[in-house]
Amino acid sequence: MTLSIIDWLIMLVYLIFVLGIGFALKRYMRTSNDFFLAGRSIPAWVCGLAFLSANLGAQEVIGMGASGAKYGINTSHFYWIGAVPAMIFVGIFMMPFYYGSRARSVPEYLRLRFDEKTRAVNAFSFAIMTVLSSGISMYAMALLIQTLGLFHGIIPDQYIFHVSVFLSAIIVLAYIFLGGLSSAIYNEVLQFFLIVAGFAPLVWIGLRNVGGWQGIKQSLPAAMTHSWQGMAHANTNSLGVEWIGLTMGLGFVLSFGYWCTDFLVIQRAMAADSEISARRVPLIAAVPKMFFPFLVILPGLIAVSLPSATAQLTTTPALSATTAPGIAGTGVAAAEAHPHGIVPLKINPFNGRPDVDSKGQPVYNYDLAIPTLLLHYFPTGILGLGLTALLASFMSGMAGNVTAFNTVWTYDIYQAHINKSATDEHYLWMGRMATIGGVLLSVAAAYAATSFNNIMDALQLVFSFVNAPLFATFLLGMFWKRTTGHAAFAGLLSGTSAALLHHGLTLPADAAPGIHGGWIAVLHNYSSDMAQNFWTAIFAFSVNLIVTAAVSLVTKPRDAEELVGLVYSLTPKPVEHHLEWYQKPSTLAFGVLAVLVILNLVFA
Amino acid sequence: MGLDIRLPLGLLFLILGGILTVFGFVTRHSGLYARSLDVNLNLVWGLVMFVFGLAMYLVGRRQRWQDDPVNPRPWEKSGRN
Repeated sequence: MTLSIIDWLIMLVYLIFVLGIGFALKRYMRTSNDFFLAGRSIPAWVCGLAFLSANLGAQEVIGMGASGAKYGINTSHFYWIGAVPAMIFVGIFMMPFYYGSRARSVPEYLRLRFDEKTRAVNAFSFAIMTVLSSGISMYAMALLIQTLGLFHGIIPDQYIFHVSVFLSAIIVLAYIFLGGLSSAIYNEVLQFFLIVAGFAPLVWIGLRNVGGWQGIKQSLPAAMTHSWQGMAHANTNSLGVEWIGLTMGLGFVLSFGYWCTDFLVIQRAMAADSEISARRVPLIAAVPKMFFPFLVILPGLIAVSLPSATAQLTTTPALSATTAPGIAGTGVAAAEAHPHGIVPLKINPFNGRPDVDSKGQPVYNYDLAIPTLLLHYFPTGILGLGLTALLASFMSGMAGNVTAFNTVWTYDIYQAHINKSATDEHYLWMGRMATIGGVLLSVAAAYAATSFNNIMDALQLVFSFVNAPLFATFLLGMFWKRTTGHAAFAGLLSGTSAALLHHGLTLPADAAPGIHGGWIAVLHNYSSDMAQNFWTAIFAFSVNLIVTAAVSLVTKPRDAEELVGLVYSLTPKPVEHHLEWYQKPSTLAFGVLAVLVILNLVFA
Repeated sequence: MGLDIRLPLGLLFLILGGILTVFGFVTRHSGLYARSLDVNLNLVWGLVMFVFGLAMYLVGRRQRWQDDPVNPRPWEKSGRN
């Protein structure tokens, strides 16, 4: 790939702005509150776009494009069944407790509602997970830069990976170190608009070329262009999941568990300037989120609708395995006899030959669907913009993790366990140090990913077990005043054990016992690892729910006065009299739900 | 925070849109656009981004005047003199 001076200029202008925002905000960082919570002074729409953008890392853009190319439009379930309803729920029902309790982080809410040990479980697992995710995002970005040959001819080939890792680490470090969460949020807004500006023309030209949605429908099998067709049974759709597993596993447990409890996104809403703004944040984010399938999934479908070309790109595996729920470890459920369009073959990085599956068939690298499409359509100039959009998405993913890490480290680990009574100035300093530490650990994780791909996969799997039961704890904690700290702690541990157990006893089709499951004994076979993943979450959630409820009944609850502002039934409802009907969060929520139903029907 | 995000956002899109527009205009007769189905993406999309940037920048500026309680707005100034 050859880039012209114009492409470089565009990327350079973007980088200058990214760093410039950090420098411009540096003088506002006076207290730890400014650094970790942006002084709780950001308008709702800015937080809303950051809420969306923080999740828009490598996994979203590359992974959803790959999934679109592999499975088709039913990837939209991750949005239209998964994310959006959960975002509505967190905005309407949960945000008053997060924001109103004045907790500074999600683990701190657990401390206020339950006890120190419940917070510790959440804080430690979350801190490690953010560092790993940010490292994997960094790794994916460096790998993509290497694969596309972005620095080819400028830097010797063997150094490209290292230069990419360190360059991205230094940029993200610089703007967070200077401006903390505000800087991350402001940059996430820029990143959001850049991602839209970079991908919208791609979809436009792509659709023109393949004859619009009708053209895609004609060239692809019906299963790929209908999101609900064949969902009655796991064997009749490309995801390999039946509708109960889909709606309960993905739609309820995993998505609510992620969007309603993950501090990475909740932190953006906590930075809002008032409680009513904080409640609007996820709802505002839900509006563009609904339409993101058209930006990130549709390019995947366009890429496979085009007539095949010979593969010219090489890469190594695992671009799509990062944070958000469910998608991690989506296997090839129905890849046989599948159109692959301009998606290149997967090339083994060690011997330079195409990878083949167990049946000797060539494997296609769906992670390259969107990058290949960019190179296919974009002339120099706008190509620079498209690549900037990709870089922006990787950086926003990384920065989101780093800001969440430095807050949880400083407030929930350092202040809670190491140094309880330091000055605010000291915690601000600690936050800056944690930013450096977090970025360094991410770099280490990125290098670990290059040499121990399986260990990273295994770690991600373990974290999915830690996260799967989480939503039950919050649900009971927020809506049942009887729930106790001992119960929450016991529930979390048994939920995670249930997830481990379920994974050890089941196996997806076409997989050997081991990291994919069945390492105790194989009692049940799923038709895809996505189905296994969803059901693991359902079991973990249910066990947590039952254990927490049962232990709560035999332990002593806290006094009702202590729980005001933390539990639904004991907290005054948010005052909305002064708002016109169209200003109320619930109006926005109903509007989003209505569009959601329409989208599901149109693409059914 | 004392910085309205619409100002840097507007500026960024003004600059990027401007670069693309000028480049698209200069290269409008070249063979560069065969791959984008003969659509001059640089010119068209550059203009779109430029207009968006301008709108963001102007709204951001106007908001800043509103937040400033002392100095008269530019449109008030001309009315008074």
